[in-house]
Amino acid sequence: MSAAGPPQGANHAPSGGVGVHTRATADVPILAVENLVTVFRTGGGWHPAVRDVSFAVQHNETLAIVGESGCGKSVTALSIMGLVPPANGRVAGGHIRFAGRDLVALDEEEMRKIRGDRISMIFQEPMTSLNPVLTIGFQVAEALHYHRDMGRREASAVALELLDQVKIPSARQRFDDYPHQFSGGMRQRVMIAMALACRPELLLADEPTTALDVTIQAEVLSLLAELKAAYGMAMIFITHNLGVVASIADRVAAMYAGEIVEIAPVNELFARPTHPYTELLLRSIPRVDRDTGGLTVIAGQVPSIGAMPSGCRFAPRCPLRQPVCTSRDPLLVPLPDAPDHQVRCWLRAPPVEGGHA
Amino acid sequence: MTLPAPRGSSYALQQLARAFNANATSWIGLVTFLVVVALALLAPLISPYDPLEQDILARLQGPSAAHWFGTDSFGRDILSRLLWGARLSLVISTVSILAAVVIGGIIGILAGYVGGRFDMVVMQVMDVLLSFPSLIMGLMVVAMLGASMGNLMIAIALTAIAPFARIARAPTILVKERDYIEACRALGYSDLRIMTIHILPNIIAEILVMASLWLATAIRIEASLSFIGLGVRPPTATWGGMIREGFENILDSASLSIFPSLAILLVVFSLNMLGDGLRDAIDPKLRGGE
Amino acid sequence: MLGYVLKRLLLAIPTLFAVLSIVFVLARVLPGDPAQTILGDQASQEALTAMRHRLGVDKPIGAQYVDFLVNAVRGDWGNSLVTGKPVVEEVRKVLPYTIDLTVTAIVLGALIGVPLGVWSALRRNTWVDYFARIGSLLGLSFPAFVSAILLLLAFAIQLRWFPVISAGRLDDPVERLRSLVLPAVNLGIIMAAYVTRVTRSSMLEVLGEDYVRTARAKGVPTRAVIWRHAFRNSLIPVVTVVGLYLGILIGNSVLTEIVFNRPGLGKLMVSALNQRDYTVLQGMMVVYAFVIVLVNLLTDLTYGFIDPRVKRQ
Repeated sequence: MSAAGPPQGANHAPSGGVGVHTRATADVPILAVENLVTVFRTGGGWHPAVRDVSFAVQHNETLAIVGESGCGKSVTALSIMGLVPPANGRVAGGHIRFAGRDLVALDEEEMRKIRGDRISMIFQEPMTSLNPVLTIGFQVAEALHYHRDMGRREASAVALELLDQVKIPSARQRFDDYPHQFSGGMRQRVMIAMALACRPELLLADEPTTALDVTIQAEVLSLLAELKAAYGMAMIFITHNLGVVASIADRVAAMYAGEIVEIAPVNELFARPTHPYTELLLRSIPRVDRDTGGLTVIAGQVPSIGAMPSGCRFAPRCPLRQPVCTSRDPLLVPLPDAPDHQVRCWLRAPPVEGGHA
Repeated sequence: MTLPAPRGSSYALQQLARAFNANATSWIGLVTFLVVVALALLAPLISPYDPLEQDILARLQGPSAAHWFGTDSFGRDILSRLLWGARLSLVISTVSILAAVVIGGIIGILAGYVGGRFDMVVMQVMDVLLSFPSLIMGLMVVAMLGASMGNLMIAIALTAIAPFARIARAPTILVKERDYIEACRALGYSDLRIMTIHILPNIIAEILVMASLWLATAIRIEASLSFIGLGVRPPTATWGGMIREGFENILDSASLSIFPSLAILLVVFSLNMLGDGLRDAIDPKLRGGE
Repeated sequence: MLGYVLKRLLLAIPTLFAVLSIVFVLARVLPGDPAQTILGDQASQEALTAMRHRLGVDKPIGAQYVDFLVNAVRGDWGNSLVTGKPVVEEVRKVLPYTIDLTVTAIVLGALIGVPLGVWSALRRNTWVDYFARIGSLLGLSFPAFVSAILLLLAFAIQLRWFPVISAGRLDDPVERLRSLVLPAVNLGIIMAAYVTRVTRSSMLEVLGEDYVRTARAKGVPTRAVIWRHAFRNSLIPVVTVVGLYLGILIGNSVLTEIVFNRPGLGKLMVSALNQRDYTVLQGMMVVYAFVIVLVNLLTDLTYGFIDPRVKRQ
């Protein structure tokens, strides 16, 4: 489905050889992940870190993916970008449909042209994610050089604008400074500028505010929201912080042990957390406005990928556990009265006769 | 650098065992080295001739049935001299490195643990010592003190102390800051106990790696000093001394240069393989994927 | 940048004095009675006293220390006990040979070592990698004199490609080059072994860093990721090792000069040892002290050149 889209604006010169950017229409999602499986090599064997993950992101939508460490949310993002470290991991199955193509089927060079241009990613650690021996100006301008064929002067001019947009003070004077001369919050802004240089249609943000001070977090989040609206981007926002989710997400997917266990519009999820895991997650957020006796914790630990239980992966820690839960994997099923709210649980969302996930 | 969680000596042993099994090179290195050690230990029993026994009529011969590796310029059997030379090299290098590990380790742990000005002063001295190339330092010390087995050991130990002090100090500082050390102190553990039980196991693996590599260096230095003429005096058989003799007679006989060279190479290479293999296995960054 | 250079220069001075102090300890304090050592057991008391006075060791130790430091810095390193000429002269005569050798060896070592190390890191666990790792391990297992002798046997004696004795007069460029080859190859190969190893491990580490992932996430082509993003960062430990190696190089060049019978600082030192030329020996140690400090300084300055974080300290 590669139709030439409507004129995109000055920065969208057609990229060589691949076809023009296809702007998604209202009902075609910009990204559709279908049954994604990504495996990692640990202790001698290959085990799935992400298993049968499916979701779609609509044009201009923010999808939040939440979960504990090790649940596979970062791996999902890396799989979309094709950045799974080849020495010990690879995408083993499924499809990632973007702009009418299956990213899984692309070779490295085709994928490279998409990265940084149409899909960008920002990472968690601003302290180590910028190259210490290159100026920030250069690093921001670099993508423009490779994807838009801009010369140094032109790219630098655009980069400077970008730095202004992310509110780096005295951007012109600091253009030739090095990353170590900036604070963590500033560096994250630089990362954002870098990622948005080519006006991508989709931004993957892997816990971009986790490593920052709480006050800076709020600033960076609002910056992201602002830019997303201005650029008309879709965003996948990965986090373990439900508070952040509430403020920026349109839809939320909760992941556990490599699977999506619940996915719903944000208000729906907060009002009606249906999967036991999501429910417990929400309950474990400390509340300062209420007087509670103690903090709720979820007993147990996320299983390691080489030692996954059979049946429902959450069953060992689930307070509602029944025999059916440990014998078969539940399917992701929409709730009867809320078709865009899907849950993976035998008890809370049993499959209706004739219905399927 | 991330340290393993607080565990005792059994953890260190586990780590070592795992390191060995990860890598063929460390096994090959260890086995080869042990073979050489065995040969050296058995030298008095298996050596075909007395290493000092001369036979002027049979000088500078190549390998033959009577002398497997040939004879030197005094007609002495090269194989026998090789075996006895092995003993000497191994003794000198082992003693000196052992001394360096112990002294350097103590200095490093103390400096790291006590901290403050003491630490600063000690490390400055170590840094200056470190900037001396080992051979030159060894040369200077032996030149000044005179050439004898003891002085050789002192010279080599001196060059090796600073590196071991360094590697003992770094993890000591890291571990010292950890909460469980505070807990130990609160429980009234003596400093000495803290240092031996909690800090030591964390650094043993790395020290062993360095020790094997430095053992190789020590053997090289001893051979080099003997070659220059500053080693144990002839007629005692030393590998370096034999090569010097071979060098002086290079146009007449190649065996005298070649065989001791191969011997040195074998030992040093096997030790390097051992140390290298261990280090690759212990260093998490270089592991293939975990 | 200029501030950084000046700062390093200033720091080099106390280091120089520290190193010279160690030389002083080794030269004066350790050996006991140098007059005895030089003149031997049979010397008479007058001869010993005269010698002690001549050497200046009859003054109090504090005065000796000051004298030593002052003279060392001024370049007055006494006169050779054998030839009578100033030590500085002897050193100056042989310095060009040593510089020739050292510079060539470093260049060779870097030219072979760096590309091999990078290639080995990129082709990890393939035959290139194994060859480079085993080869470099082998290369640095050779004591310098062993490899020198083997080279001598093979190329000079058997094949007769190069002269057995590399006296190499400086005025004849062909001779100079010919007699440089084997010694330089000897030193260069050992150095290449070190450089290969550190380049490889440094490159591997850098390739796993977050900023390399960021570069790839931007769609930077692989070649640029390797050379512009990774390589420059991987050089930092390489410079450290080269700086460390220069110390080992000094030791190895002593051995090489002996085997190839080539004039130079090393040979000078050893003949001084054999002839018990005490003042030349001491002067040599002072020379090495200067060299060590110079090398450290150069290494520091190179860091400043490569790594922008260092300049701002």
